[in-house]
Amino acid sequence: MSILYFEEIEEGDEITPIDMPLSKDQVRRYAKTANMYVPRFTDDEGAKAEGLPGMIAPGVMSMGLLARMISDWNQAATIKRIGTTFRSPVLPDRDIHLRGAVTQKNETDHTVECDLWMENDDGERWVIGTATVTVPTKA
Amino acid sequence: MALEFDKSLIGQVFDETDFPPVTKEEILEFAAALGETNPLYTDEVAASEGLHKGLVAPPTFVTKLRAKKFTPENLPKFGKVGFDGGRDLEVLAPVRPGDTLTMLSTIHEIYEKTGRTGSMYFIVIRNEVKNQKGEQVAVIDHRIMQR
Repeated sequence: MSILYFEEIEEGDEITPIDMPLSKDQVRRYAKTANMYVPRFTDDEGAKAEGLPGMIAPGVMSMGLLARMISDWNQAATIKRIGTTFRSPVLPDRDIHLRGAVTQKNETDHTVECDLWMENDDGERWVIGTATVTVPTKA
Repeated sequence: MALEFDKSLIGQVFDETDFPPVTKEEILEFAAALGETNPLYTDEVAASEGLHKGLVAPPTFVTKLRAKKFTPENLPKFGKVGFDGGRDLEVLAPVRPGDTLTMLSTIHEIYEKTGRTGSMYFIVIRNEVKNQKGEQVAVIDHRIMQR
């Protein structure tokens, strides 16, 4: 648990990374709660029938995981805007790496701009994005 | 080259869906499925002392809302295959247990991009989410790619 104030954040700061295995069960659990319980997100055979290499994670799940990285990094941060581009299918049953960095601080409204991405073990960026995050000030 | 389609499609509301009240259980399950650790989303008691004075949903919770109609019937097809290109989410107010949300869907933009592998068409569906007080909760732009 950590709380970071605007004054403690610098441009170029790394957002605390998350390395995690993404299991098929976690994808199914997400698909179920997110009303996306369809074959491409739940079983390999069904996904293959749709021309995919196997079951994939919903794009919005990747977006949710990147948002979680921000809230784990700074529990006092509020996401105002997050945008993500789904560049390649996210295949579960392997490790994923969530990464981010602060690219800009806006003194006028105490927001910070961040770059975000999810990569695989080979450093391929499956999902990329940006976010604008409001952080509290000490003053 | 300009894309040929009925320009009056842009901005037209093609769906309005009302959702049942958001439950605490559904917020906790959504947060758990993402592995959230922030008590704002996972712990009702701790959240009551926090920023929003109560449990709120993680910011991407609104992406689980499914419109009755995902696209308008008269949407032209530009390509053979569709992909989920991405989302842009603007978060305007927190979602709390008991909120009843409504979502309005419009076609926001249609454009073409030409790359190495040929032409790609982008259809941007804008979903605007409001709560029972009429407050704007979120705007979700959904980019569908066709090729």
